[in-house]
Amino acid sequence: MDTVSRVKSSRRRILGTLVGIAASATLAGCAQNAPQDTWEPKGPNAEMIHDLDNLVFPIAYVVGIIVLGLALYIFWKFKDRGQEIPVQGHGKPYMEITLTVVPALILSVVGVFTFRTIFDLAETQDTEIVINVTGQQWWWEYDYPVQPEHGINQPIVTSGQLVFPAGTKVLLRETSRDVIHSYWIPALNGKKDAVPGRVHLLRLEANEPGLYAGQCAEFCGLSHANMRMEAIALSKEDFAKWVANQQKAYVPPAAGTVEAEGEAVYIAQCARCHQVNGLKDAQGKPIISAPDEYVYSGAAPNLTALMTRNTFAGAMFDLVNEKCRADVWGAPSEKFGEAYLKGVTEDCLNQKDLRAWLRNAPEMKPMYAEPNLLGPSDGKYRGMPYLALTEDDIDKLVAYLLTLK
Amino acid sequence: MFTTGSKYFIGLTALSVVATVLYLFLVNPSDLGALALVGLITSAATLSGVSIFTRDSDTETVEQAVDASAGPASASFWPIVVALGAAMVLLGLATEPVVFVLGIAVLVGGGVEWMVQGWSDRASANAAYNSEVRAKVLGGIEYPGLSAVLTIIVAFLFSRIFLAVSKDAATIFFMLVAAVIFALGFVFAARTDLRKKALSVVLPVSIALLAIAGVVSALSGERKQLVDAAREDHFAIEHRECGEEASKYYDKHANNRVPLRKAVIATITVENNEVSAKMIGLDRKVDTITIPRMNSTTVLFRNLDDSERRLVVNLGSAKVGDTDVVEPLGTCTQLTGKGQEQVLTLTIPKPATAEEPFSFTVPGANGEIKLVVP
Repeated sequence: MDTVSRVKSSRRRILGTLVGIAASATLAGCAQNAPQDTWEPKGPNAEMIHDLDNLVFPIAYVVGIIVLGLALYIFWKFKDRGQEIPVQGHGKPYMEITLTVVPALILSVVGVFTFRTIFDLAETQDTEIVINVTGQQWWWEYDYPVQPEHGINQPIVTSGQLVFPAGTKVLLRETSRDVIHSYWIPALNGKKDAVPGRVHLLRLEANEPGLYAGQCAEFCGLSHANMRMEAIALSKEDFAKWVANQQKAYVPPAAGTVEAEGEAVYIAQCARCHQVNGLKDAQGKPIISAPDEYVYSGAAPNLTALMTRNTFAGAMFDLVNEKCRADVWGAPSEKFGEAYLKGVTEDCLNQKDLRAWLRNAPEMKPMYAEPNLLGPSDGKYRGMPYLALTEDDIDKLVAYLLTLK
Repeated sequence: MFTTGSKYFIGLTALSVVATVLYLFLVNPSDLGALALVGLITSAATLSGVSIFTRDSDTETVEQAVDASAGPASASFWPIVVALGAAMVLLGLATEPVVFVLGIAVLVGGGVEWMVQGWSDRASANAAYNSEVRAKVLGGIEYPGLSAVLTIIVAFLFSRIFLAVSKDAATIFFMLVAAVIFALGFVFAARTDLRKKALSVVLPVSIALLAIAGVVSALSGERKQLVDAAREDHFAIEHRECGEEASKYYDKHANNRVPLRKAVIATITVENNEVSAKMIGLDRKVDTITIPRMNSTTVLFRNLDDSERRLVVNLGSAKVGDTDVVEPLGTCTQLTGKGQEQVLTLTIPKPATAEEPFSFTVPGANGEIKLVVP
């Protein structure tokens, strides 16, 4: 192959690669199943950000095209063809002033709208319900402070899924128990860091009942990628039902049943770290978990009403099987609450993942849960450890957990 | 061809690699020791590279280099520094850890300087070239190192002054010093002709003044409040009396500055002898504050009454050790005057029980705020 052919072939390859990359990027925008798409806002706060994007991005595109076009033109026009070096001058005041003033004006326009959006997003005076959100490696805890106007007469603690009323101004008070995390439900608002020792506020509001997916957006260690969350917006009536159910008194399983045996296994193996409100020991004393003694972050998910959630292990695994999951995700807005509030029935339970998790949790999700790797954690676990449960214990535990509704 | 210095560092690199491999297999694969040995490999390999680059590639033949058996070209005071470091290490082992750590730093610093000087003295027969080679290797370390040491000394001297004078005097002093430095910066920036001459006067005078003030402050000791606080152990738990009356120790020198407002989850106010609370993000009063378990949480206390008040948090009770003695649990702020604020930072590991609910109270004022820990 002669030199000219080689150059042509090389150019064709480069052009082909560039076209391939551009086509992939364009086609990625056509994805149908993209629940974390930032361009599809589903609430007023995300819409504010989206409106700002709609203003800023076209300006950025135009500026980018002009700058890139000029750069390419200059590369082509003045490329070294052996011509003489032009006369070298020092400064062109009018051009320099123009090139300073024009970007400053553009940035000022962008800045005005950006600051207005930032201040609007920081507004808290119109809050209707407050939820505390606490991040830890690698799951989110949600606790609902006492708010009698919403029927919350005792605190509700849950994890994995943030449940709130649609069409209501929710204020999340974020913090963290260990390292910095970042809370992000793209369809409902932007990101907000959860920082140990600080309380950061994030507004959230959903236009319609539905399920909105999110992801921890600040690298927080080994299982950062598995620290997911789902925001569940329910109609006000459905939210009231959910609240009432979360505050329901604990009903112990009937004596002599496999569920009662499962409760005993739970007390022996799980109650050290996990709290089930209302659970009592043989003497009738409330069993208070002590995750502060075993877990690095000092917390483990509260399992009261576990089977009202659709996920577990930091929303990494579904508690419901694929069919039932599809029923909830695919439910139309007006039927969504009904589908979600069904919770996890025996038919719907994702037995496979739950059993595998109980069998050997560290194998399912990367965690510092190996005793020989606990040096940096001061001898405490980060995540659920291997408990050496027998298959019989797992059967009993699953039966018991199914009663936590 | 490799010369003596290069061979030495290459040998050291090879030995470090062997030592690391042996350590990893025979001792402990996840220990700091392995990290130290990897550091040694990196350092030795870097020095090998520098040696080859600055000497082996710059001399055409080994014959141009000075004889390895030749004596040093100049007198060196690094052996004295190394001896001082060794003495400090031994002394530190018997006395204070800080002396030991400083000794290690002096030993390592002096050792590196001595080693590089010894090597550069023999880099070639040309003394000027040898000096340049030495500067090439150590110049990038010496200047930042020296700056760091000077910064530490300056910070230490400033700290002695701040600890010796009163809080208000320290604030004024710092503002003045900052203003003077800022003004001088402006002058030197504007008058480039002044820069060298003025700096040669201003810098030594400033350093001398700072050194004198620092030494005098260090000799005169810390201000009385700090000495009293240390002697009386004001913040010891047994001195934390949370009643309406002033505590003899705990309420001395109350600190009413609140710098970390971003951590505040709720504000409790006492006004007209009534206690009220607001939670961050909610623009209305609440009678219950919910705090997540095991989460460092800060509550701000604001006193709007004329009399001095304190905020008390009651966290039930617990047995003392293995005894049957039961003691109330809780803590409180210091007494704070009208219009002043204090914070309580709490990390509560266990929820309240029905028998022993948690609460916030202000002794002498009406009302209480329920504290719920789920």
